[in-house]
Amino acid sequence: MSKRLLRYLDWPLLAAMLALMAGGVLVLYSAVHNTPNPAEFVRARAVHIIIALIVLGLLAAVDYQAIARVWRSILAGTVLALLAVLVMGRTSFGAQRWIGLGPLAAFQPAELAKLALIVTLAKHIDGYKEFDSWRALVPVLAHAALPLALIARQPDLGTALVVAAILAAMLFVAQLPARMLAALGAAAATVAPLGWRLLHDYQRHRLLVFLDPSADPLGGGYALIQSKIAVGSGQFLGKGLLHGTQSLLHFIPEQHTDFIFTVVGEEFGFVGACVLLGLFALWLWRAMTIAAQAKDRLGTLMAVGVVAMVAFHLVVNVGMTVGLMPITGIPLPWVSHGGSALITMAGATGLLLSIGMRRKKILF
Amino acid sequence: MEYQQPAKRLFVINLLIGMLMSILAVRLWQLQVLQGGYYLRQSEENRIRDYTLSAPRGIIYDRKGRPLVSNRPSFTVAVLPLELQDPPRVVARLASILGITPEEITHRVEANRLRLFEPVRIKRDVGAAIVTLIEENRLDLPGVVILVEPVRHYLHDKIAAHVLGYLGEIDVDDLAARRSEGYRPGDLIGKAGVERATEAVLRGIDGRMRVEVDALGRPLRILSRVPAVPGRPLALTLDLDVQRAAYDALQASGLGAGAAIAMDPRSGDILAMVSLPSYDPNQFAMGIGSTAWQAITADQRKPLLNRALGATYEPGSVFKLVTATAALDRGIVSRRTMFDAPGYFQLGQWIFRDLKAWGRIDFITGIANSVNVVFYTLGYRLGGEELANYALLMGLGEPTGIDLPGEINGIIPRPSTKEQLVGEPWYPGDAVNMSIGQGAITVTPIQVARMVTGIANGGQLVQPHVLLLTYDRDRTEHRVDPVMQRVVPYRPESLAVLQEGMRAVVDRGSGAGARIEGLPMAGKTGSAENPRGRPHAWFAGYAPLDAPRLVVVAFVEHGFRGGIAAAPVARAIFQTAFSPAVDQETGR
Repeated sequence: MSKRLLRYLDWPLLAAMLALMAGGVLVLYSAVHNTPNPAEFVRARAVHIIIALIVLGLLAAVDYQAIARVWRSILAGTVLALLAVLVMGRTSFGAQRWIGLGPLAAFQPAELAKLALIVTLAKHIDGYKEFDSWRALVPVLAHAALPLALIARQPDLGTALVVAAILAAMLFVAQLPARMLAALGAAAATVAPLGWRLLHDYQRHRLLVFLDPSADPLGGGYALIQSKIAVGSGQFLGKGLLHGTQSLLHFIPEQHTDFIFTVVGEEFGFVGACVLLGLFALWLWRAMTIAAQAKDRLGTLMAVGVVAMVAFHLVVNVGMTVGLMPITGIPLPWVSHGGSALITMAGATGLLLSIGMRRKKILF
Repeated sequence: MEYQQPAKRLFVINLLIGMLMSILAVRLWQLQVLQGGYYLRQSEENRIRDYTLSAPRGIIYDRKGRPLVSNRPSFTVAVLPLELQDPPRVVARLASILGITPEEITHRVEANRLRLFEPVRIKRDVGAAIVTLIEENRLDLPGVVILVEPVRHYLHDKIAAHVLGYLGEIDVDDLAARRSEGYRPGDLIGKAGVERATEAVLRGIDGRMRVEVDALGRPLRILSRVPAVPGRPLALTLDLDVQRAAYDALQASGLGAGAAIAMDPRSGDILAMVSLPSYDPNQFAMGIGSTAWQAITADQRKPLLNRALGATYEPGSVFKLVTATAALDRGIVSRRTMFDAPGYFQLGQWIFRDLKAWGRIDFITGIANSVNVVFYTLGYRLGGEELANYALLMGLGEPTGIDLPGEINGIIPRPSTKEQLVGEPWYPGDAVNMSIGQGAITVTPIQVARMVTGIANGGQLVQPHVLLLTYDRDRTEHRVDPVMQRVVPYRPESLAVLQEGMRAVVDRGSGAGARIEGLPMAGKTGSAENPRGRPHAWFAGYAPLDAPRLVVVAFVEHGFRGGIAAAPVARAIFQTAFSPAVDQETGR
C-alpha cells in the first residue's frame, strides 16, 4: 500500500469500529460470565476478531474496482454457497443457516452473501450508463432475486430483509427515477401479504407477538417484555459491568448474540447506550462521507450498500430490544457474538476504507 | 467524463439514518430515564424458578401383567443455590433437620455449581414429619424447597432384586459418557438388572416448569410448562408366582446363598431367577443412606451379586451329563454297558474315591445314582480334550447372552490351555477328575440351565431372556422374539439314553427329592466339592418328559448334597409352575 493511500485512510471510521469490537468483548463477557465456560466464548471471539481484521486489511488493500471486475465469479460462488447450505446445512431453531467448515465450526454463507451482493450489484448497476429504464432495472432485480430467494428459503427472513434494504438503497442512489421507485414500492406492498403465507409458523408467531406481547407472555412475548425490563432497569447510568440481574436469569434468549444490547442497556444505562449509538453514528457518518467522495459511481454504490446494511442491522436489532421492532434474529454489528457476521461487518469496513483511500483529490 | 455525485439522494439517506437513530435515542430515553424506575422495580421483583419435572420411569410388569416395579410420589428436599441467604446458618439448620452433616449438603451444592437455577437435591423421599418441619421453619430456610417427585417402588421387595436391579445417582464416568442423552448430575440411572439393561426404554423425558415467585419464594404464576414424558412400560418373562416360589424355596433351604432359575426351553423365557442373599432395591430408590450402602457393599456374602449369572462354580456331577454324552457319541458306552463299581478308581498311584461300592451296575443306574467310578472310567478313556470339546459344544464355558448385565464366562480347562488358564499343568488324573465336574472347571447356573434346555428340546440352544415385551408411548406392544442360537448336534440315540438316565435320576436315583407324582421329570444332581467349604448342591432338570415346558436349575452354596439341598428347591418350583392356577399359557 502506498503512502498516498495511507494518507487517505479514514481513521475515525476504523476507530469507531474497533471501539465497538472492544466494547463487544466486554459485554459478551458480561453476558456469559455465569455460564459454565465463559473463557471459551471470549477465546472464540478473539479468534473471530483476528480473522475479521485480516479480512478487513485484505479488502482495504485491494482496489475495489479490481474486486468488482470478477463480480460474476463472486455471484456464482455466493449462489453455490447458499445452495450448499440448503443441501447440507445444519439446522438451528427451525432454520438451516450453517455449513460445517472444519475449524471455523459453523459458517453462515448468508452473512457473507450480503457483502458479496453489495459488490456485485454495484458493479452490475454501474454497467448501465443511464439507470432509468426497466430494461436496466429488471436484470438487476433478477440478479438480487436469486440469492434473496435462497436466503429466504433457509429460512432466514431477517437477512432476506437486509438484502432487500441494501437493494432499495442502492437503486435509490443509482438515480432510479422516482416513478419507478414508487412502482417498485407498490409492487412490494402487493406481494407482502403473499409473503406472509410463506413464513414459518415461528416467524408468524414472532410478528404476532410483536404486535401484542401480552398474547404470549410465556413464550416469545416474554422475551420482548424481559428485554424491555432489562434495558429500562439500567436507568441513566446503568447497574455496572457484571451487575445486570436480568442477564443472570436466563430467560432472555440468545443474550450473547441477538439480545446483546440488553446487556449494554442494563449495565451501562442510557449513557452507555448513547455512547454505543454515538459510535455507530460516527461510523455511519464517515461511511456516508466516503460514499459522497468516492471517485466513481461504483464506489458510491458500494459504500451506500454497506451503509444500508449496517444501518438496517443497527435499527432492527436495537429496535427489537426496546420493543420497537419484532424479533428477527439480526445481530448487532461488531458487538453480537457470531463469527460470520463479525467477519462480514469487518470486511464491509475494509471495503469502505478501500473506497475512501482511492477517492479523487478534492479540489476546492 | 467527470463523475457527478447523486448528492440529493445521498442527503436523503443521511436524513433517514439520522431520523431512525433519533427515534432509537428517544425510545431509550423514554425506557431508561422516564420509565427506568418502573422497570428497575420490575427487574427486582423478577424472580424465576426453573423446576425439573421428573419423568416417572416405566412400570415393569410380570408376564401376566402384574406390576413388579412402579412409582410412588415422594418428597425431596432441595436447595436453590442462588437463593441461599447466609448459607452456613441455613445449611447447618437444614442439616440438623435432615439428620445429616452440613458438609454433605455443602458438597452436593458445590457439585451442582454449574446449574445455579435448578434445585440441588439434598435428600430424597423424606417423611411428612420433615416436610412439616421445613414448612414451619420456612422463614429460617430461604432457598430450601420441597419437590414432589416420583420414586421407584419395588412391590415385592427382595424376591426379584437381581433381575430387576436398582437405581442410583449417575456417577461421574457415566455422566461424561451420556451427557448427550440428557443426563445431568443427580439424575437416577439403572445400575443393575433390568433397570440397567433397559434404561433407554424405562427412562422418561424430564419436563420443565418455570415459575415466577415472590420474595419469599411463594409461587405467583406458572410461566411455562413442558410436561414430563413418562418412561415406557415393559413386561418381563418372569411369572410372579414362580418367582416367589423359587425365592421361598431357596430361602427355605436354610443356607442363605444360592441361585435358582426356571426357564421355558421353547422360548428361552426366564420364568424365575433368584439369587441369594438378596437385597431390597427400595433402599436404593430412596437414595440409600451411606451406612446402609456400606453395609450392603461390605457384606462378605455379596448380596448385590447375581449368582445365577455373575458367579462361577464347580459343576460337580451335573457335568456327568457332558461326560455321558461324549462317551455315548464316541461309542465308548451304550445303554446296556455294565460296569464294576467297587467304590474307587485307581490310576497309577492315585486313588479316586466314590461314595460307596455299588457292585455291578448298568449305565442307566450309573447315571441315576451318579456313580463316580462309571464316569471316572469314561472320562479317563475320553481324555481332557474330548471332555472340554463336548462341554463347549453343549453350551458351557461361554456366556449365554442373557439380556441382563454382569454375565461371566466360567472356565473349561483342557490339556492344551489349563496351564495358561489356572497356572497349573495338566495332570493325567485331571481328565478323571473333570469327568465328574471337579478340578479347575467352573460354570454359571444360567449356563447349566441353557445346556439342559438343549438336552430337553433336542439340541436347540435358545438364548435366555427376561424381557417379554416393551410398550410404545401409544401402548402398542413390541414383542421380543426368541433367539435360537445354534443347534447342538446330539445323536438321537445318545440323547435318548441320556434322557432315560435323567428320568431314572428323579424316579429312583439321587434326585428323588425332586419327584412329583404325575409329572414325568428328568434331572441330574450334583455335589460339587470346592476349596471354600462344604460341597455345593446342584439340581438341574426339566419336565414334562415328552414335551418339556420348563427347565429348572437349583443351586445351593455349600448345600452339601444336590439330592438333599437342591432337589427340593427344584421340586417346589416345578410344583408351583405346573399348578393349575399358575400354569396358564399367556402372551405367547
